[in-house]
Amino acid sequence: MTDNNVIVAKGIVKTYDDSGVPVHAVRGIDYTLEKGEFTAIIGPSGSGKTTFLNVLAGLDTPTEGKVWLSGNLISDMSGKELSDFRRDHIGFIFQAYNLFPVLTVEENVEYVMLLQGVPHAERHNRVMNILEKVGIAEYAGRLPMQLSGGQQQRVAVARAMVSRPSLVIADEPTANLDSKTSGALLDMMRQLNEDTGMTFLFSTHDEIVMRRARKIVILRDGKIDGKASPEEIK
Amino acid sequence: MLLKLAWRNVFRQKRRTILTLLTMTGGFFLSSFSIGWMDGSYSSIIMFFTNNRTGQIQVHREGYLEDPSIYSTISDYQTVGAFLDSIPGVRGWAPRIYSGALLAVRPRRPGSGNVFSNSAAASVIGIDPAMEEAATNFSDRIVSGEMLTASAADTSYTATGRIVLGKELSIILEASVGDSLVMLTQAADGSSADRMYVICGIVSTGNADIDRNTCYITLSDAQILFALEGKAHEIAVMTASLGTVDELTLDISAGLSGRDLETDSWKTFAREFYNGMKADEDSLKVTIFIIVLVAAMGVLNTILMMVLERRREFGVMKALGTRPGFIIRMIVLEANIMGIISVIAGGILSTAALFYFSEHGLVMDPPLDYGGTVFREMIASITPECYWIPAICVIITASTVSFIPALKAAHTKAAKTLRKV
Repeated sequence: MTDNNVIVAKGIVKTYDDSGVPVHAVRGIDYTLEKGEFTAIIGPSGSGKTTFLNVLAGLDTPTEGKVWLSGNLISDMSGKELSDFRRDHIGFIFQAYNLFPVLTVEENVEYVMLLQGVPHAERHNRVMNILEKVGIAEYAGRLPMQLSGGQQQRVAVARAMVSRPSLVIADEPTANLDSKTSGALLDMMRQLNEDTGMTFLFSTHDEIVMRRARKIVILRDGKIDGKASPEEIK
Repeated sequence: MLLKLAWRNVFRQKRRTILTLLTMTGGFFLSSFSIGWMDGSYSSIIMFFTNNRTGQIQVHREGYLEDPSIYSTISDYQTVGAFLDSIPGVRGWAPRIYSGALLAVRPRRPGSGNVFSNSAAASVIGIDPAMEEAATNFSDRIVSGEMLTASAADTSYTATGRIVLGKELSIILEASVGDSLVMLTQAADGSSADRMYVICGIVSTGNADIDRNTCYITLSDAQILFALEGKAHEIAVMTASLGTVDELTLDISAGLSGRDLETDSWKTFAREFYNGMKADEDSLKVTIFIIVLVAAMGVLNTILMMVLERRREFGVMKALGTRPGFIIRMIVLEANIMGIISVIAGGILSTAALFYFSEHGLVMDPPLDYGGTVFREMIASITPECYWIPAICVIITASTVSFIPALKAAHTKAAKTLRKV
């Protein structure tokens, strides 16, 4: 493990119990993600992309194996430790945006910083700054339902990045968006990756997303089936 | 943020929230009104009962209540009375003598001759007309004739006295105002005593049992008749308010210590009446419990629905690093926001209703017979208990029924929830 690694996963196995039937979602993965990467995990439905991301993000515990995130062994952390760790080190972008419907755009984006106890003035500055970067500063006072899908996902990106996490994890971020909006969103994310050096790891089977990734990991039947560059996928 | 989230979440589903608020407000209103109504009714019943006859506090010779003997007297009742006058909160006092006698009336109907043919045993109460009037407004209950005044018999053993009969007793004796009555009894010195009286009034106390066997003569008359000069069996004390009775009882008792006297509140000397009141209060508690339970079911239903609908949101909160305690506090706060709104709305409604009924009362038709005492009007009262008891019930209920769903929400598995939805 080097200081340049954001994620180091060794021998990850995840087996679910589905009404008494064991489901082997991840079957022994070793994986390393370096700082500043903009990597897509691709694979057919049921290949284990979401489960693998959840384990890497500390949302789920592996049945076997260990995960280090920014040098911290998260697979052995307690629930409370994991909760605090996610708050301080990981940003999430979900397929269905998952913004809080009763909070305005600004309040949604500042939520994690509130949990972190960031002072009000600093929160406001950082929120407005990131909203400018994702191009929706003029909607700061609106509720999510007053925005389009693309705009909501931009808010989600802002929420994921505003607390300056070590890693932003996005699970199918463009699944609910049209191709034009998807392309624009990915361009923006990649630009943010280049500008900030923040590490992005996302799952997708959207070609638009794949084309914009710098590295691609192919997952099949719960195992890494290979790595490729976007050009190779094309 | 916590309060902001909770407040906005409460009004996400406006229709459901309004229905829940109506249930909780209704529960608060019913509880609050029941307490105010029962408190007002009880107070008026107790004041009516005690003002009418017993007083709120009584002073007797030690042991008189257990064994009401003619010999158990207060020998210096004027001194005791002077002490009572010095106590703030004592509105008045009235000395009394109690004994029994045989009454015989000479009817005035044609053909009855000059014979005292109608007789009945009765309790005789000697009262000081002026003090009794000041303490109990005795004359208000005279339905025929007039109140006692100091009579010739007060100073002369042989003179004809004046007597007031209970209404039902007058019916039994077929007596009316102006009729002559002979009383036969035994005095405290062991001698037999008899006296002629003229009926000057008929009284209706509202308690038929009392009016069936009670007659009233002046205290001086009774002292002469029963050979109890300068003495009384009882001093009935009237207080300005029911709420100070217990405290005043202790004060009086302390002031009279060492004098072989006992001081009791109405709760002791009218124990059956008090126990009846307590039983009614217990049934009120059951009623309030049922009301609160119904309201609690409404809140529980709403909170469960809210938690179920927002499972995904709780999953996101957990994923973003929200601690379970935050989610628990948020949901309990949401229930309590509804509780506080209900308390305010219910408080306004119950205040309006209680104020109306405390001012106008409710005429009982037919009248309510409570332990033989007839009440024609009930009134409500507005007391702090009308508010804090239901308010605490609502807040505790809201917190309690929301806690389990909150706990469930707080332990939502982020990965599982986000995967399923």
